[in-house]
Amino acid sequence: MELSEYVQKGFQMLADPGSFDSNAFTLLLRAAFQSLLDAQADEAVLDHPDLKHIDPVVLKHCHAAAATYILEAGKHRVDKSTLSSYLEDCKFDRERIDLFCTEYQNNKNSLEILLGSISRSLPHITDVSWRLEYQIKTNQLHKMYRPAYLVTLNVENTDSGSYPEISFSCNMEQLQDLVGKLKDAEENQERHRGLWELAVLARARRRTLPFESVTHRF
Amino acid sequence: MLLDLSEEHKEHLAFLPQVDSAVVAEFGRIAVEFLRRGSNPKVYEGAARKLSVSSDTVQHGVEGLIYLLTESSKLMISELDFQDSVFVLGFSEELNKLLLQLYLDNRKEIRTILSELAPDLPSYHNLEWRLDVQLASRSLRQQIKPAVTIKLHLNQNGDHNTKVLQTDPATLLHLVQQLEQALEEMKTNHCRRVVRNIK
Repeated sequence: MELSEYVQKGFQMLADPGSFDSNAFTLLLRAAFQSLLDAQADEAVLDHPDLKHIDPVVLKHCHAAAATYILEAGKHRVDKSTLSSYLEDCKFDRERIDLFCTEYQNNKNSLEILLGSISRSLPHITDVSWRLEYQIKTNQLHKMYRPAYLVTLNVENTDSGSYPEISFSCNMEQLQDLVGKLKDAEENQERHRGLWELAVLARARRRTLPFESVTHRF
Repeated sequence: MLLDLSEEHKEHLAFLPQVDSAVVAEFGRIAVEFLRRGSNPKVYEGAARKLSVSSDTVQHGVEGLIYLLTESSKLMISELDFQDSVFVLGFSEELNKLLLQLYLDNRKEIRTILSELAPDLPSYHNLEWRLDVQLASRSLRQQIKPAVTIKLHLNQNGDHNTKVLQTDPATLLHLVQQLEQALEEMKTNHCRRVVRNIK
């Protein structure tokens, strides 16, 4: 986890009781988490009367540093000991370290969900609707008398924020083919679900062991 | 239901009794081929030379046949109705039989070709799937995120189109359930009654 000098400096200022008393530290820390995780948060997050006495430039610097560190920690899924040792290196006192770790632990899930949702992905199917019709005639062909389906897939494109729909027609055999293949995929997915769950467990277990450094993590 | 043949149409078809049945059969073959692949005027010229008539005459004869076949196929008229419709042209017994056979032999294929003229939505062709697990991304490491990647093959107006999409296991289950319900619907009493009664 490489942090720039700017971030490290900001962090070190946060550790200094001269620049930030206990109350200010708590407020700033919470403001950092709020800025990241609360969709409605804006610059007003730093507008607290108990922070007014601090130079706004310093305030912004430390806020940015804290937010950057939180994101990096979340990205690499650091555990409590790694967090503590980095904070110790930055000369945070015990009380502040405990507070930071508690706040981090409380917000960890939301942070991971947020980071996990930032990614390039293929258009994602969210829903399906269908229509069954009985075709009687067209102007080119009379006496058709056959059933047909119209299927519409609702798709979400997170990259462009668009919601295109994909519609297509199919007859009975084609729909059976489609459903058969989807069921195949679904059954295979179920069969391998045991493997995913094992992997999640294994990862959780690893977390309780001490680690040398975050960069050696796979 | 009888075919309503216009005077012009009858005139064009009047060429047919003037040639022998082998030629009419050949015209029939050309007519169906033109329906399959589009017309080729050079064929008319070749035939016109061999028969010592103008290529226009040959063209009208073949086109008359084409129209006769497509109208009959479109309306799906019965054998009897076809025979009665053709009877008004005053052709020989042999020629009438030949035309009937031409109609019956090619009716199914012609109807398939006609169905391609309908307003067209993309239609389903095939589906390929793949199970994936996302392990990490630039913004988050150590993930275990299962996903299903789907390649949907669609046809529209002869063009083949593919769409690559993704979904999660829960939505996949939902898709399967919804579409199975769609298939089940065809077996309900309501749908069966409609199919039985609209003929």
